[in-house]
Amino acid sequence: MRLVYATLCALALTGCATNKGLYEWGGYDAVLYNSYKDPTTVVGNMQKLELHIQKLEQGKQKVPPGMYADLGTMYLQAGDKAKATAYFAKERDAWPESAGLMNALINNGTMPKAKEAKS
Amino acid sequence: MKALVFALAVLLTGCATHQQAKTDLSAFNAAKPRSILVVPAANKSLDVDAPNYLLTTLTVPLAEKGYYVFPVHTAKTVLEQEGFFDGDQVQKQPPEMLAQLFGADAVLFVTINRWDAQYAVLATTVTVDFDYRLVYKDGTEIWKANKKMQYSPQQQNTGSALGNLIASAITAAMERAKPNYLPLAQSANVQVLAAGPTAIPDGPYRTTN
Repeated sequence: MRLVYATLCALALTGCATNKGLYEWGGYDAVLYNSYKDPTTVVGNMQKLELHIQKLEQGKQKVPPGMYADLGTMYLQAGDKAKATAYFAKERDAWPESAGLMNALINNGTMPKAKEAKS
Repeated sequence: MKALVFALAVLLTGCATHQQAKTDLSAFNAAKPRSILVVPAANKSLDVDAPNYLLTTLTVPLAEKGYYVFPVHTAKTVLEQEGFFDGDQVQKQPPEMLAQLFGADAVLFVTINRWDAQYAVLATTVTVDFDYRLVYKDGTEIWKANKKMQYSPQQQNTGSALGNLIASAITAAMERAKPNYLPLAQSANVQVLAAGPTAIPDGPYRTTN
C-alpha cells in the first residue's frame, strides 16, 4: 500500500500541469457526503470543516468557493444564527459572486424568498 | 482512502489524449459565465439517495476549473424553503428564474440515468450514467454532455503495468467500501468537465494553465 501511495504521489507531482489544484478542500465533499449519509455525524463534520477553514486562514490560503457558506448553513440548521451570519459574511467578502445570496441570507436571518413569494 | 481513489480518478483521466470530436463551445465562450449554480439532480435511478450524494461531488471539479460555485448545501436548503424538495421539481423550473434567485451566471442541471450495482457470481458491476446541461442566465443552453462510467473488478488488464497497478488499487478500494459510487461519480465529473473532448473552458479563477 505504501508503495502505491508513493507511486501515486510521484505521478501526481509530475503528471499534468492542468491538474494543479487551485484550492485545499480538506474533505469538504466528504463532510457533505457523510452528513447526508448519516445525519448523526453532522456535528463532527462541522468541526472538521471549521478546523480546516481555520488552518487555511492562518496560512493565508484562499478558502474554496462555497465552504464558508455551507458551514454557515449547517450552523443555521443547528440553531446558531450568529455563527451562521458570520460565515455568510465571510463567503460574501471572499467571493463577490455570492454577494446577492449571502446578503439575503444575512438580512433575512433565514433564507431568501423567491420574488413571487414576496408580498 | 477516499482521497486516494479521487487522486486515482484524476490521474487516470487527466492526461487522456483527445481524439473524439470536441464539443462546440461557441455559446459557452460567448456567455463567459463566472459563477455556476449546481441544483439537485433529477433522478431516474432507483436509489433515492443518489441526488444528494452526487451533489457533493460537483463543486470540486467546477471550482478547480476556475468558476465560483454556489454552496451546494446552502442552495439545496434555499430551494427546499421555496418548496422544491426534489431535483425533478427543480429541473422543471425556468433556468432564468433559478439563476436570478441566486444571482448566478449559469445553472448546471444533471439527470441521473443510472446509479446501480449489479451483482454476479464473479464480479460486481457498478454503473453511473449522467446527463449534464449548463444553461446561461438568459436561458441559452451553453454546454451539454453525457457520461457513463462502469466499474467491475474484472476490468483489470489495461495493457500497461501502471494501468494494472492503478486498476488493482481501485479494485481494492472499491471492494473494501462495498458499492461505493462516489469514486465513479467523481471520476465521471472530472472526465466530462475537465478532461477530454467535452471539457468546459477554464473559468476566471484559473488564469494561468
